[in-house]
Amino acid sequence: MKKESLWGEALKKIVKDKISLFSLIVVLVYTIIAILVSLGVIVGDWHQTVGPNYAPPSSDFIFGTDFLGRDVFKKVIYGVQVAMSVGFISSMISIPIGVVLGATAGYFGGVVDEIIVWFYTTFSSIPTIMLLISISFILEKGITSVYIALGLTTWVHLCRLVRGEVIKHKNRDYVQAVTAIGGGHARKLFRHIIPNVFHVVIINASLQFQVAIKSEVILSYLGLGVQEQPSWGKMINDAKQELTSGYWWQLAFATLAMFLIVLAFNILGDALRDALDPKLKGKES
Amino acid sequence: MQILQYTLRRLLYLLPVIFGVSFVIFILFNVVLGDPTPILLGKNATLKQIEELRHQLGLDRSWLMQYLDVVKSAFTFDFGISWSTKQKISDIIISRAYPSLTLTLPAFVISTTFSILISLFVAYYRGRGIDTFVRVLCIALMSISSLVYILFFQWFFAFHLEWFEISGYEPGFPDFLAYTTLPGIIWIVLSIGPDVRFFRTVMLDEIYQDYVRTARAKGLREVTILLKHVLRNALVPIITYVVIQIPFLILGALLLESFFGIPGLGGVILEAINSSDFPVIKAFAILTSIVYIVFNLITDVLYAVVDPRIKLH
Amino acid sequence: MSLLEVKNLSVEFHTQEGITRAVNGASFTVNPGQTVGLVGESGSGKSVSAFSVMGLIPNPPGKIVSGEILFNGKDILKMNEAQMRKLRGNDISMIFQEPMTSLNPVFKVGEQIAESLILHKGMNAKEALEKAIELMDQVGIPNPKSRALAYPHELSGGQKQRIMIAMAIACDPKLLICDEPTTALDVTIQKQVLDLIFGLQQEYNMGVLFITHDLAVIADIADEVVVMYKSNIVERNSVKSIFNSPSHPYSKGLLACRPGLESNPKRLLTVSDFMDKEGNELKVSDERKKPFTKTYDYSGDKNPILLEVKNLKTYFPVKAGFFRRTIGHIKAVDDVSFQLRKGRTLGLVGESGCGKTTLGRTILRLVEPTEGSVYYQGQDVTGLEAKELQALRSKMQIIFQDPYSSLNPRMTIEQIIVEPMKIHKVGVSDNERVDLAKQLMEKVGLLTSHLSRYPHQFSGGQRQRIAIARALALKPEFIICDESVSALDVSVQAQVLNLLLDLQDEFDLTYIFISHDLSVVNFISDEVGVMYQGKIVEHAVASEVYNNPQMGYTRNLLSAIPKGIPKS
Repeated sequence: MKKESLWGEALKKIVKDKISLFSLIVVLVYTIIAILVSLGVIVGDWHQTVGPNYAPPSSDFIFGTDFLGRDVFKKVIYGVQVAMSVGFISSMISIPIGVVLGATAGYFGGVVDEIIVWFYTTFSSIPTIMLLISISFILEKGITSVYIALGLTTWVHLCRLVRGEVIKHKNRDYVQAVTAIGGGHARKLFRHIIPNVFHVVIINASLQFQVAIKSEVILSYLGLGVQEQPSWGKMINDAKQELTSGYWWQLAFATLAMFLIVLAFNILGDALRDALDPKLKGKES
Repeated sequence: MQILQYTLRRLLYLLPVIFGVSFVIFILFNVVLGDPTPILLGKNATLKQIEELRHQLGLDRSWLMQYLDVVKSAFTFDFGISWSTKQKISDIIISRAYPSLTLTLPAFVISTTFSILISLFVAYYRGRGIDTFVRVLCIALMSISSLVYILFFQWFFAFHLEWFEISGYEPGFPDFLAYTTLPGIIWIVLSIGPDVRFFRTVMLDEIYQDYVRTARAKGLREVTILLKHVLRNALVPIITYVVIQIPFLILGALLLESFFGIPGLGGVILEAINSSDFPVIKAFAILTSIVYIVFNLITDVLYAVVDPRIKLH
Repeated sequence: MSLLEVKNLSVEFHTQEGITRAVNGASFTVNPGQTVGLVGESGSGKSVSAFSVMGLIPNPPGKIVSGEILFNGKDILKMNEAQMRKLRGNDISMIFQEPMTSLNPVFKVGEQIAESLILHKGMNAKEALEKAIELMDQVGIPNPKSRALAYPHELSGGQKQRIMIAMAIACDPKLLICDEPTTALDVTIQKQVLDLIFGLQQEYNMGVLFITHDLAVIADIADEVVVMYKSNIVERNSVKSIFNSPSHPYSKGLLACRPGLESNPKRLLTVSDFMDKEGNELKVSDERKKPFTKTYDYSGDKNPILLEVKNLKTYFPVKAGFFRRTIGHIKAVDDVSFQLRKGRTLGLVGESGCGKTTLGRTILRLVEPTEGSVYYQGQDVTGLEAKELQALRSKMQIIFQDPYSSLNPRMTIEQIIVEPMKIHKVGVSDNERVDLAKQLMEKVGLLTSHLSRYPHQFSGGQRQRIAIARALALKPEFIICDESVSALDVSVQAQVLNLLLDLQDEFDLTYIFISHDLSVVNFISDEVGVMYQGKIVEHAVASEVYNNPQMGYTRNLLSAIPKGIPKS
């Protein structure tokens, strides 16, 4: 038996399974593309007209061109950056809020808990789509509003999850044992409880990515999304006019690009849940 | 009697949440949004016109009064007047709810029933080929944007094959069916992925419980175990999941309605967004929240009815 | 013809980690009216054997690779599912270990009993319910008519197990399989349930296959005993032969490791005294076996008083009503007082819910007391500020019951043992602390190379040793052992008890040993306190409590202990 942390074992389990390994690779490739696009290394010239309008896919333009003769391939690649950044930044907003509030409520209980529960019940009572529309409507239209709107709507679910897990763990004997050896609140919470509930955050993040990517499409359709850049949502939206004329490629390739990454996050979310949930670990049956 | 007391206490708990929701909406629409009068009156408005409008909209009153207005509207459903159509918002909502429901209600009932049946089926064949197939299919279905389904189905079945009307609506049964069937089918396709996935997980959670082993040791058939013991226990999470979706039926299928030209509530929201009709969006935010809160309460009470372990005191 | 004949049964489990053989070539028989005990530690394959008889091995991952299971001469392994279902719950029925989770929470218990009757006896719902009420009466449920309408969560653990028994005997089975049916129950309830099962057996002349990890439980009820060890049957004999002249070294160890009420050696014998790792028999020295009489003079004890508990009360509020007002209190600890001298062990016994765990935790202020004081070396612990309390924690430690939940699963053993030293600044450098951790590992009988491993890579007994090492890291004077050996197999339990005694001798430790098991408490303690409903109802020198109990409650507890004397 080798020495192996639960995290290490989980990673090994994911890598061992072909489908989840594939998903992991897809996520990594998309991340790298997103970083390269952000740095301006690739497809910085997406807005240039490179050929005739609506050229179908060919050896020159493998994904065809759009109504301004721009390369659809480059737009799809640029869309990777938009999609990944929406997922990433909205997670970066919702994770700190969700974890801090959830952990505080769960750990301290009492009045603090009641206030935080009231706070997230309030937020969760406003249907996500309405909150999303309201926030992105009120803030200036553009990608920043999308980040903020998604960040502010998705923390609620995470907060509820983290709170539940923290309550479960704070009464476990291993936390009591820390009290017994003289450890304080900070040690119990940060060194012991949070590492044990953090898998919830990881699993949730992988699901949040795909929710964010899908929501971007809807917001773009409503005209509340990305303004000056190409995104999959806008490309799919363009197809509303194009499809009847037989210009299917923007729709097809944007959908395909999105399908791959959302599928990968879905599968990865499941695999992470199976691998990270220590529920079944250690108990011999 | 006990259940009545329980319900009453839950009702009491709702008040702070309603105040909270009103506060969030007040912050968003009254504080963050700022002064909407320039948008409404255009650039050439006189100072006097602006004053008048501000007064008319109650924007010259104190923050507290404005907040209380929001709270009041949550109870009276009096949301004021639409800026673009000048109609009473509550009247708009009532008149446009019917087309929405003719689309969403049948679709919701069919898709939920279907999903439960499918998940029972795959739970029976858990771990075998058909289970894996359905699981993968669900994830794949969920990985495509809803917009794509709508675009493709409308183009293929209505435009290309001409099986259905592309767009439009006529009230009255069965006239509306001609217009709502295709969007209804799309709704079902959209919901079946996440629904089956959720129901399947819930049922599998139950299937590995000790009481199922007891039921097997009694000599019960696997089908009986599934339909009686497992389903009854799985009902608790299923109820939450299903009931909490009902508020969204009233909200209408935003995208479906707009694509298929169904004059429902989803359409009202879209028009409001396009014409910057703040009071309408604000009204929808309040209304849907209240409906959501009420259905949450219904779920809690149903919970207590279905699960004898939930203490009512 | 035997009722049940298992021939050369082998069962394998195919998982991602590989193939494990859970049962290897097992053969045994059960005759009508006979009770066969199937004994072994967790993971020995005893439950898997029983589940094979029921045809309840989940496949995949389980697979019966060879053998025959003849029930009334017919091989049930060759039967199809429909034929199997006719047997299950009808001719063969089963009672499980966990009465808490084995009943369906959303159905009334009467309905659940009736279900078998409707299925196998073709009764209608009304007849079946009447018969179910009759059965509930038979298994000793008071007011069966109204209790039949109760949901499982409204019944106590013992009553739930009685419902399970009623369900199992509903269709007059020929074979009853009991899978550790009393392990989760208190000792007095255990006795009642055992009496019930064997009363019913006599009445219906059933064959009973009784699975347990504790030989003593079945001593006076089994006719034959089958001992399993690491997937193999190592011994099969009449109960008398097993108890009087066991032949396999594992059986010998299993018999010797359970502390008795009469006399015990200074350190308990364990399986490893009888058998080496390869399974070869070892000779046990007479010195090791020699009975040891504890001499403890309560009043003449010269040791200083380390701990004094005075009128300690811990109440938990009960809230109810529309406004959730406090309407009363659960008196978990109710006016408890005692003194404990340095280097001594106080055993606290009582049944679940008597308040013994809360008492232990209140002394350490893991739970805040409602009233009263706890003096540790003359200093009142209940009045200490957070900082003073933190300093005191290095002297007072606790070892918990469940070795699975008491270690942080995401920390290495080294981090776990070093943590208390870091908090209390023991040792000047990390290297020094790691050296200390290594010494502790050796002290508790683990390899120092295992420091870099994680808790899930250890067995229950090993984890409990790790918990002991953590408790010792601060060189405490006083340790509370809260049911610290209850979750362990009897053979492992003996090793941990021996370790605790060795450590007490070496470091002059003072223990409070909390347990529901009177024989364990008797073995390890100098004085014993019996707890009932939050109070210590009897408190005296251990031998006094056991030989001359004053309270009726104590006498009940004592008479319920399985004696481990085979039936004649």
